[in-house]
Amino acid sequence: MKHYLIIQLARFGDLVQTKRLAATLLARPGAAVHLCVDASLEPLARLVYPEAEVHPIMAHGMGLGGCEAALRALTDNRRAFDRLTAVNFETVYNLNFSGLNFRLAALFDPERVEGYAWKNGQEITGTWPAMAMRWTGHRRIGINLVDFWAGYCPDMIAPDAVNPTAVPKGEGIGVVLAGRESRRSLPAPLLARMAATTAGTQASERIVLLGGPSEARAGQEVVKNLPAQLQDKTENLAGKTNWRSLADVVGSLDMLLTPDTGTMHLAAHLGTPVTAFFLSSAWCFETGPYGRGHIVYQAVRDCLPCLESAPCPIETACLDGFADPGFQRLLATRKAAHAPEGVMGLASDFDALGQIYVPFAGKDVDAGQRSRFRDFLGQHLSGRPHAATDADHAFASQFYQEKDWIAKRQHIDTIGY
Amino acid sequence: MNSLRVLVVLPLYGGSLPIGRYVASALEEEGHMVEVFEAPSFYPAYESLDDLKVTTDRLEYLQNSFLNVVSQSVLAKVETFEPDMVLAMAQAPLNRQALKRLRRDGVTTAMWFVEDHELFTYWKGFAPLYDIFAVIQKGEFFNDLKAIGQPNALYLPLAAQPDFHRPMELSAVERRKFGSDISFMGAGYPNRRVAFRELVSRDFKIWGNEWDGDHVLAPLVQLKGARVTPEECVKIFNATRINLNLHSSIQVNELVTGGDFINPRTFELAACGAFQLVDERSLMGDAFVDDELETFTSMNELVEKIDYFSAHPDERAAYAARGRERVLAEHTYAHRMRALIEFTAERIPGWPKPRSASPAFAEDFPPELERDIRELIARLGLPEDVSFEDLVWAVRKQEGKLSSLDTAVLFLDEWRKLYGKKK
Repeated sequence: MKHYLIIQLARFGDLVQTKRLAATLLARPGAAVHLCVDASLEPLARLVYPEAEVHPIMAHGMGLGGCEAALRALTDNRRAFDRLTAVNFETVYNLNFSGLNFRLAALFDPERVEGYAWKNGQEITGTWPAMAMRWTGHRRIGINLVDFWAGYCPDMIAPDAVNPTAVPKGEGIGVVLAGRESRRSLPAPLLARMAATTAGTQASERIVLLGGPSEARAGQEVVKNLPAQLQDKTENLAGKTNWRSLADVVGSLDMLLTPDTGTMHLAAHLGTPVTAFFLSSAWCFETGPYGRGHIVYQAVRDCLPCLESAPCPIETACLDGFADPGFQRLLATRKAAHAPEGVMGLASDFDALGQIYVPFAGKDVDAGQRSRFRDFLGQHLSGRPHAATDADHAFASQFYQEKDWIAKRQHIDTIGY
Repeated sequence: MNSLRVLVVLPLYGGSLPIGRYVASALEEEGHMVEVFEAPSFYPAYESLDDLKVTTDRLEYLQNSFLNVVSQSVLAKVETFEPDMVLAMAQAPLNRQALKRLRRDGVTTAMWFVEDHELFTYWKGFAPLYDIFAVIQKGEFFNDLKAIGQPNALYLPLAAQPDFHRPMELSAVERRKFGSDISFMGAGYPNRRVAFRELVSRDFKIWGNEWDGDHVLAPLVQLKGARVTPEECVKIFNATRINLNLHSSIQVNELVTGGDFINPRTFELAACGAFQLVDERSLMGDAFVDDELETFTSMNELVEKIDYFSAHPDERAAYAARGRERVLAEHTYAHRMRALIEFTAERIPGWPKPRSASPAFAEDFPPELERDIRELIARLGLPEDVSFEDLVWAVRKQEGKLSSLDTAVLFLDEWRKLYGKKK
């Protein structure tokens, strides 16, 4: 039996988006997959990855004081580290660019670590994630994070084998109140309009509002902004779900309306159709719902996708398209003619590399360049040639550095090479 | 003085290289947190530039560019390690640009210039760029340094490292290989080549390099003139009845020059408890009294004393014992580092800057955890009251896969950086 370890210390959505990588490893004959996650996500990890052995550690803040944190880091984490070192991992996939991940890698032979390794006190970034950092300057043509993480494995499973094709499940529509980054979310009155339009189109008998305890008040505001006949059919579950009940609810819905959130990825995992609103720093080509049967409305402006950490000098103007009355018609009909300025409607699909989004309303001006970039990456990952163009030379110049081929590679070749 | 963080920058190669290593050991011995910049690792690549067969201007450009990379590497290490002092050994690969950057960033720098300033005059180019400039000579040199803008000059003679330079039991094979009535260990400088011709008829072994081309001395030169390792030096010192120690000179008119500085071999031989005949130096009186070191001022005197001490082993032993005692009491690298640190504290206001130090233990740690951390501290050779920050660095210095406790310590450090040091 070969043991593989995935270290995923980021948040809810990232954990779910690790699925193609995990599924690829699980598909290998005689493979055992281990998953190291923050303790707060342990139940979710067990839900999403029932075949994997989960290793929880204290990685997030969790409001701990210094002394308590020290004690837990040196006792609980140490015990977890002991359990990890007791397994002879064939490969460790260390996925997050964080000091914590680098340190955790100190437990392992750096030659066996993909991603972010630790070699004699030096942090080492592998070639594939280093390339990804270089293309963050070109986010409009970037690839889906699910495919990026799967890209550590040349034998990654077909993209349509990751999540089930989304189909309505019969229990109404869900509305996710907000993501972690507020600028990427729709304000409550607007969200209420989206919910009302969708409920009308779908003839839904039930609306559930989803979110954490901090979003309970936003939920009340959404309810208040709904037409009276829908208010009675609406249940505000913000702060009332645990991982299990959230999955049960999301898995029963006809549709989930959501900004770019972890719950959106959970819906995709469960095969629940997603209608997502992407704006500000959220860019569907990077973190859109994975699978077939999802719809994304992507804000388009020259300044997008922006940096969440940088203040917006134009008062989140990318929200305007969603506030345009025409948008409700687009939402109801999906007809291109109704698309307001600044919003693109896209349907999820696949190509050979993985997730793509095909516009049904609005123009994807980057489609050509993105497609060429995907060909370039496809060959990089698979070795399968395609007819080279000038773009390949430009991509290679930008995304390979001399040291990638002149000096010894910073870490081992991926298996199969 | 509390434990300091010191980055010792070694030279690419040369005589100050072993001294730099002794300095690092001594600082660690003194309880300081030491990081060594291993410049010699870069040297083969630097040398390979000489094989390019390119125009001289190209070669010079490439060499400067390479040294700039090396200098930048030192700066990067400073940024991560955050030392209280960057201690550069003579010929350390820190270019002027890097030294200016360190000064701008408020990083205290010191050089220990363990060279003869009259022969190696490059100090004029960079001495003012260091905060502290330690030297092995006195007199006019201090005025010269002041004149070019270096007011913080410190006389810091060379020394010995007692856990390395020590009396040693040798096997019969080692005694045969390394032993003789008389020996000399060092490079074939012109004054030595001429001086030692007078001794060819004796049981005399010459060790070290740069002796080639001398037919008279050739039969005496050991290991075909190969470089002798510091470990082998100690064996030679221990195995020899009379160790000759003639300070180098590039001129041959005066074989015994009566110069000022004392070479490291003087202290190393004494620390080994080995008997030496050493040429008189003007600064010797500061370091040893008469019955601790037997000196000579001319070749005639040297030959006379070789004859005398060959016949008086008890007197040899008495000199050696007193010399060793003096070195252990006053002339170790630990003494030198203490002096350097005290001088720096006097001259640089506010040095060392206070740094945040968290305890390595919390009161509520379970006894078994406390025991394991104590064992880790002991294994890493750290003081029992080491701060958490220094413990983290020492853990990081380890090579290979780390243990779960090591990793937990590093992980906790990162966690604190992310989520704060809330009490």
